[in-house]
Amino acid sequence: MDKILEFKNVNAGYGKEQILNNLSFYVEKGQVFGIIGPNGSGKTTMFNTLLGQIKPSAGTILFDGADITRASANARCRMGLGRTFQVPRPFESMSLYENVLTAAVHGGSQSEHAARDTALECLKMAGLYDKRESRAGELTLLERKRLEIARALGTRPTLLLLDEVAAGLTELEVAEMMELVAQLKANHYTIIWIEHIIETMVGSTDYLMCMAQGSCAVQGKPRSVIESKEVQRLYLGVDDDE
Amino acid sequence: MEKRRLNNGKIKVLDSLPMLIVCIAVILALYLVCFTQIASTNAMRYMIQIFLYIAMAEMWNLLSGFTGMTSLGQQLYIGLAGYSVAVATTMLHLSLGLGMAMGIGVSILVSLVLSLLLFRMEGMYYSIATWVVAEIFEKLFLNWKFVGQGSGMTIRVEPYPRIHSICIISLTICVCAIVVVYLLLRTKVGLGLNAMRDDVGAASAVGVNVFRHKLLVCVIAAAFTAAAASIFLVNKGIVYPESGFSISWTVSLIFIVVVGGSGTIGGPIVGSVIYVFLQEILARFPGWSNIILGVITILTILFLPKGIVGTLQQKLHFDIFSAKRFSYSKRK
Repeated sequence: MDKILEFKNVNAGYGKEQILNNLSFYVEKGQVFGIIGPNGSGKTTMFNTLLGQIKPSAGTILFDGADITRASANARCRMGLGRTFQVPRPFESMSLYENVLTAAVHGGSQSEHAARDTALECLKMAGLYDKRESRAGELTLLERKRLEIARALGTRPTLLLLDEVAAGLTELEVAEMMELVAQLKANHYTIIWIEHIIETMVGSTDYLMCMAQGSCAVQGKPRSVIESKEVQRLYLGVDDDE
Repeated sequence: MEKRRLNNGKIKVLDSLPMLIVCIAVILALYLVCFTQIASTNAMRYMIQIFLYIAMAEMWNLLSGFTGMTSLGQQLYIGLAGYSVAVATTMLHLSLGLGMAMGIGVSILVSLVLSLLLFRMEGMYYSIATWVVAEIFEKLFLNWKFVGQGSGMTIRVEPYPRIHSICIISLTICVCAIVVVYLLLRTKVGLGLNAMRDDVGAASAVGVNVFRHKLLVCVIAAAFTAAAASIFLVNKGIVYPESGFSISWTVSLIFIVVVGGSGTIGGPIVGSVIYVFLQEILARFPGWSNIILGVITILTILFLPKGIVGTLQQKLHFDIFSAKRFSYSKRK
C-alpha cells in the first residue's frame, strides 16, 4: 500500500464556522477515489483545504510523504496537486493553448520550450486540439470543463482533483465526460473525484467515501458504500427501523 | 514586432525582421534629432512630455492592462521622486543622476513596504487603497517642515542640463520602459501576469506565484514611474504636495491607456501623443479641459472599448509588440 495523500484529524471551516470535523482518510497511488455526500457535507471545503485555500485549524495533511498543511496554493500545485473548478474558470482572454501552456510553465515547472509539447499533448487528450487557438472565453460549457481538465493535466499532477466535472452537463455530455475520465484512469492518473451523480461514481471509481457533517460517514468499495444503510439514510432519508 | 495574416482561415505568424528594423530606425532617428538639436526648443518640449508620458503610461498599463491591478495611486511615486530629486539636488547639491537614483530607490522601497499591506486586497478595494495611501502621503508632506510643507520645494539642478540632454534622457527612459514591458511579457512571468488578469484564484491554482508576480510588476512600475517623474518635475523646477501627489497624474495615465488601447504595448504610445497635443488645445478652454477629457474617455469606452490600437489590431489582424503565444509559432 503506497499512500499519496493522507488527512489526519483535520478540522477546518470559514471563520468561526467549522465545517470539517476530525476528518481522516487516505488515498493510494493509482487509485480513483470518489467522494460523495449531500449538500453541505463538506466535500468542497475538504477540496479547498487540500488545495490550500482554507487553512485547517487542527490536523495534518500529508502529500507524497511531505507535510503540506501550511503550504500555499501555488506551492501545492507545483508539488503535484492539479485541480479543476466546479464552475470552470478559464483565462478567458487567452487562447486554449496559452491556458495550458501557463499551467505547464508554472505548475509543471517546465521551460516554455518543453511546455509547448506538454500543452499540445494535454489539449489532445482533452479533445480540444483542433480548438487550440480559440479564445477560452468563446467555449461551450462542455469545452470549458474539458479545458479545466487539460489545464490541470498541464501542471503534470501526481494527484488530480476533479470537482463535479459532470455538473450542469446534458446526459450525452456526461457520457462524453465519463469517457475522458476513463481515459485518465487508463493513463494511471491518481484521481480524487467529487461528484453528485452517484451512478457515475460506482462504475468509474476504485474506492468511495461518503461524507456527512464534515467527516467520513462511510468508505469502502463503491458498490458496498452505495448500498450501505448510512448512504441510504443520507440520500433517501431511509431510516434503519423502516 | 509581428504580423498575423489570415490565410485560408488559419492565422499565420510572421516574425517580421523589417518591422523590427523600422522600430530601431525610428528610435535612432529620434536620438539623432535630440543629439543634433535640429528640432526647435518648443518641439523638444513636446517630445519630452510625450516620452515621459509613454514611460509612465506603459507602467500603468503593465499594472492594469496586463496584470489586472488597477492602481489609482501611481502619483505616490511621482511625488516621492520629485521630493527625492529636490532634496538631492537643492539640499545636498548632488547631481541629477544621483537625484534620480535616490527617487527610484525611495519609490522601490516604499512600494515593497506597501505591497505587504496592499496585496491583501483585490479589485476595487486594491484600487481605492492605493489612492488612499497616496492621499496619506500628500497630507504627510503638507505637514512636514523639512520638505517645505504646503509651499513645497524648488528643484535646482547645478549645472542645469540643456533641453536636448533632457530629451535624450527622456527618450532613454521611454525606450527602456517599452523594452522592459515587452521582454517581461515574453517570459513565463508574462504568461502568469495575463493569467492573473483573467482570474487570480485560477492562476494560483495552476502554480502561478501571485504574490511574487504582483511584487515584481509593482516594483518595476514604481521604478520607471519615479524615473520619468524625476525628469518631468526637474523640467517644472518645483514640487509641492498638491502637484506631486495629485490624482490628476493617474487620471491622465488612465486617459492615455484607455484611448490608446489597454493591454497593448502600442496603446500608451498612441495615447500619449494624443494626450499631449490635446492638452495643448484644451489649454485654450480653461475649466472645460477635464470635462472634455472625461467625455472623450467615456466615448472611447462606449465605441472603441479596446482603444485605438486594440481596435486597429482586431480589424486589421496585426499585433504590435505582441506577447501572444501561438502553437504553430517557431518562436521559443
